[in-house]
Amino acid sequence: MWSYLARRLLYSIPVYLGIILIMMGALRIRDPVSAYLGKNATAETAALKKASMGLDRPFLPIAVESKDDPFGVEPLAQVGRVGLYAPMKTQYFEFLSRIVRLDFGSAEKPYRSWQFESEDVGAKLADAVWPTLKITIPTLVLTAGIAILVGLLSAAMRGSAIDRTLMVLVVLGMSISVVVFIVLGQVFGSSWLNGKLGFELFASNGYEPGIGNWVRYCALPVIIGVVVGMGYDARFYRAVMVEETGRDYITTAIAKGAPRSKVIFAHMLKNAMIPVITRVMITIPFLITGSIVMEYQFRIPGMGKLLIDAIINKDFPLIQTFTAVLAGLFILTNILTDVLYALVDPRVRLA
Amino acid sequence: MMKRAHLAHRVVAVVAVVMGWVAGLAAAGAEQPRGEGVAEKFARLPIRADGPKSLDPAKGSTVYDNQVICQFYETLLQNKYLVRPASITGYEDVSEPLLLAEMPKVTDSPNGRQVWRFKLRDDAVFHDDACFPGGKGRKVVSEDVFYSWRRLADPAYEYENYWLLQDTIVGLDEYKEAQAALVKAGGGGKAFDYAAPVEGFTKISDSEFEVVLTKPVVRFGWVLSMFQTSIVAREAVEKYGDTLGKHPVGTGPFVLKDEADWKPGQNLVMHRNPKYREAFYPSEATPKEKEQGLLGAAGKRLPFLDRVELVFYTPDPVMWQDFQDRKIAYTQVPAEYFEQAFVKRTQKLNKEYSDKGVQAEAVPLLDFIFRGFNMEDPLLGGYDEKRTKLRQALCLAVDLEEQNDTFYNGINTVYDGPIPPPLDGYPKGGKAPVSFRGQNLRKARQLLAEAGYPEGKGLPEIDYYTSKGGNQAEQTQFEIRQFEQIGVKLNPKMVDFSELIEAINDKKAQMFGFAWGTDYPDPENNLALFYSKNKAPGANHYNYDRPEFDAMYEQIIVMKPGAERTKIIEKMRDMVIADAPFIGSMARTRFYLAQPWLKNFKPSEDFYNWFKYLDVAEAK
Repeated sequence: MWSYLARRLLYSIPVYLGIILIMMGALRIRDPVSAYLGKNATAETAALKKASMGLDRPFLPIAVESKDDPFGVEPLAQVGRVGLYAPMKTQYFEFLSRIVRLDFGSAEKPYRSWQFESEDVGAKLADAVWPTLKITIPTLVLTAGIAILVGLLSAAMRGSAIDRTLMVLVVLGMSISVVVFIVLGQVFGSSWLNGKLGFELFASNGYEPGIGNWVRYCALPVIIGVVVGMGYDARFYRAVMVEETGRDYITTAIAKGAPRSKVIFAHMLKNAMIPVITRVMITIPFLITGSIVMEYQFRIPGMGKLLIDAIINKDFPLIQTFTAVLAGLFILTNILTDVLYALVDPRVRLA
Repeated sequence: MMKRAHLAHRVVAVVAVVMGWVAGLAAAGAEQPRGEGVAEKFARLPIRADGPKSLDPAKGSTVYDNQVICQFYETLLQNKYLVRPASITGYEDVSEPLLLAEMPKVTDSPNGRQVWRFKLRDDAVFHDDACFPGGKGRKVVSEDVFYSWRRLADPAYEYENYWLLQDTIVGLDEYKEAQAALVKAGGGGKAFDYAAPVEGFTKISDSEFEVVLTKPVVRFGWVLSMFQTSIVAREAVEKYGDTLGKHPVGTGPFVLKDEADWKPGQNLVMHRNPKYREAFYPSEATPKEKEQGLLGAAGKRLPFLDRVELVFYTPDPVMWQDFQDRKIAYTQVPAEYFEQAFVKRTQKLNKEYSDKGVQAEAVPLLDFIFRGFNMEDPLLGGYDEKRTKLRQALCLAVDLEEQNDTFYNGINTVYDGPIPPPLDGYPKGGKAPVSFRGQNLRKARQLLAEAGYPEGKGLPEIDYYTSKGGNQAEQTQFEIRQFEQIGVKLNPKMVDFSELIEAINDKKAQMFGFAWGTDYPDPENNLALFYSKNKAPGANHYNYDRPEFDAMYEQIIVMKPGAERTKIIEKMRDMVIADAPFIGSMARTRFYLAQPWLKNFKPSEDFYNWFKYLDVAEAK
């Protein structure tokens, strides 16, 4: 397995380099500095801002000088209008080196956010991870747990009133926009309920750290997340379970007189784990990135809100770093998913 | 059976434990009911954005930076809180000393220069902070002013606010250039010399100093109240470096107790500066403010609030809901909620709110919203009769009143020219003697025909650049329909703001949607948009270029406010209206609601250091 892991990681390197190259190129199609600076910005200010981010340097070790964009750094060699540069003096390799070192700012070598000028990008990301995880992990666990139960129950009672009722409810949950649930949650689950209770059980928005504040600030988003997310999962798990119910091993187990609960939970659930794991694993990167809508509407200072605020405020260093981290997470998650397949299903061999 | 009963008990026990835990967590997180056992005066105030990017005045540029920074730092002058005149001619109309003991004394020199003599208050001290010996804040002295203004010339701050002092103080531009060269030579190291002399800075004593201007720059009087020129302590800058942005050490009425008080993007908690000097609530007010009973606290010591939590709201509905839940002391009224709070026709507060005692305030903004033309464009630009008539026809095709009614609940001010109310040069009733403000389709068609395009025939589609977002798509559809009425076709290009700026700066955009928020209430700031030396990529996005206009502009920037200056300003205004480099204009009005228990509430968006005047009734 270790050799498989090493091989997959090696294969992923060129993929990741390509993603970073495309992402960095895309972020530079329009000048990020003029997008960020306000109406009173002078050419001098723009030049200093570019220099502070190294945006005055060539993007790649080979660059063509243009009229509007003269060489920012003296090339090592120059043939006509084409210059060759030391790789580490180029934007692409400099940023890659940051990723490799996981250096997104420190007291000695700051890498400042544009939106919050006294804070490093790394610190902003680190600060935003915990609020997000406090929402996404309970949401994932509850959603997966309840959805698997609903899926099993519906599959086992296929065609019954319970099956139909459960499916109508979960479809209703996923069909209504999350924004509607958020507004209803804020008005009834927070304002109205708190008025009735006489104290603030669920805050309509905001966030305070500490486990003692979890119910107040995180429970409502988690409940809404579960209601909205469960529909997709429950329907998927039901379909998986229904497929399993027709398999020979189920018939055999029933024929051998195994109790119904054992057939469902011990036999069927175990054999349905591969699609379940796939589904859970593909959501793992989103555990970190959070839910943009939920965090934005509840003013939870997590990764989702950080990203949307960075985009609104044209915070170039933060957007670039966030995207690079997200891409890395996706790749790692894919590898992890393959490893888990093998652990769950002995028929899968990592080769 | 026994087994089942046992299981049921266990389930009940588990549920009880979980419910107890949840209730315990909820109780731990629940807020103390307001007023119970809490003697301090506290208010939660909204900021309609994710907050400031930095608390360092030299780095600040946005409205949100201003809203927060001016609570910690102070400028030499400030706007008078309750003086809101119908028209403003000069900074003296609305300014008063803040860190100064008296208004500056201004004398003109025979050599064309102007000398400003300042006297600092002797009771203005910096916040207590570890950057000072013994942690005790020291008195503000003349050198602090020079130091703070020199910072704007330091490339470490990317000259973000240098434009305020550019071409103003004798020797400062030269100092900036010389220091920039030194820094460059030093490879970006800390070579900037704050001790190097600037000819226009003269220290007379620790509390008195003079600043010599290269010419009588009218703007300078306004700049003295702008938060970017706030006075900072050198000790703080040297101790905190570029983290000064989250560690404010000013002289203002509020302090941050520690860095954890600011959670960027979330909230910021300010505490009353216990050592704030004896400063008092104003006793001067314009008649309307007197009638509103805003002088009730006159002569009382500032600030009133012990603690203020600024809450940063990006989604409007959340802010609105928090106001309904009485969590925040006031709110701006987002456009989509206007009719919930006000009767659209009368702009009066709905009964539901007025019965509760909710206060309402309308704040006119210094806005110039327009659709501009590139005056260097071969089709739309130029100053010959045909091109001018074409632009005038386009101006007359647009019904700004309908646009105001459709998209802004009819609350904007529609006016002629580039100068919004209440600035000097704003035409009486919004109507200038020269006007091409629509809608007048008959005249528009006639001018279009005279321009050589009868009923729009032969006129190519006009590329119209405007930014995405908000209701821009709907507004663009509205404009397409308006132009179609005279046979003109628009080719809308909805782009990101960065692309819009780029298209304008590259002079690619034939026509573009844009807005200008006036930086300081002098018409010169808006007329600078037509000064040829500011052509794109500068703020003259129209690339307007008229030597007569330039000559008048150069006159007014050094002229004392008065009838003669007003006359020239009006002439400039009428000249640009006649040349029609833009379709306009509109200025927004912002509506605010405040809780009945918030006292002394008179919001302004021209200045923001008014949180110190706010108070809360003891029983909320």
